[in-house]
Amino acid sequence: MKAAKDPILRAAGYAYNFDRLAYYNRSAKKAFSVEWVEDHTDKELREELSKTNNSGEWLVYAEPQPSERVKREFLAEIGG
Amino acid sequence: MANSRSVEDLLRAEYFRLLPDARRALLETETRVRSALLDTSLALQPFERLVVTARIKECENAINSLRRRQPLGLFDSDQAAEYSLSALRDLAAVRVMAFPKRRVDETHGILQSILAGWTSDPIPAVEESGVPLAYKYFGKWNSDAPITAEVQIVGLLIGLFWEVEHSAIYKPNPSLQGVRTDVVIQSRDDVLTALQRFEAEFANAMMASPRREETILR
Repeated sequence: MKAAKDPILRAAGYAYNFDRLAYYNRSAKKAFSVEWVEDHTDKELREELSKTNNSGEWLVYAEPQPSERVKREFLAEIGG
Repeated sequence: MANSRSVEDLLRAEYFRLLPDARRALLETETRVRSALLDTSLALQPFERLVVTARIKECENAINSLRRRQPLGLFDSDQAAEYSLSALRDLAAVRVMAFPKRRVDETHGILQSILAGWTSDPIPAVEESGVPLAYKYFGKWNSDAPITAEVQIVGLLIGLFWEVEHSAIYKPNPSLQGVRTDVVIQSRDDVLTALQRFEAEFANAMMASPRREETILR
């Protein structure tokens, strides 16, 4: 089931990947798993969305954190 | 020599090792449920329905189900030995579909007594404040059994809709790639809400006029 916070993520330019159960934004270089979104409040989500990612690397919000191999596979799939 | 088989291949082999236990769990669950509901089944009005279905999840569906539970919906091939289909709660599952709503509630009450030691995990309504779409329980009849079984109790209309919708939307099918659009998902949610509203309104009408049940159906 998709997150009830879907409109917040859509408004911030995030697309949803049904198979990976995650939202992602290529220009922001961030991805949020549905589980992470559901486990955090609107306020916490908005705070993370508003942070600028200057690291040059993708930030993946998921609990538990996926392994580096899984992250690579995920990013390859979404064209990250 | 390191095991070079993929996570999926290891799980396929495990599936067929677990299958006899899954069949036993399903037989016991279905038999207990049907037995508990016998009196209700025999007392149904002509327009009422009580349908019990039982299934073991097919191999590829079981693997995909386990995959969806992993972070980002992916297996980590470095951790292949960590995955087991015995972690699934619905490898063996019984679904009870009833109509009208009072039969759902009655069925739920009866089955609660035999599922007292199981874990309740209701399927929430589309609208957050709504009543659950379905009641769901998972557990084991014997603590040392390798398979967890599931019992689901749902209104007949939603249950029948799920039988079509799940195979079209959730189960990977190359010919259906791209159909899981937001519009389709939203339509699915609209249908579930409408079916639930119909069942509630039908129940209200029956309460208001219990002798006009057959008229309401015309």
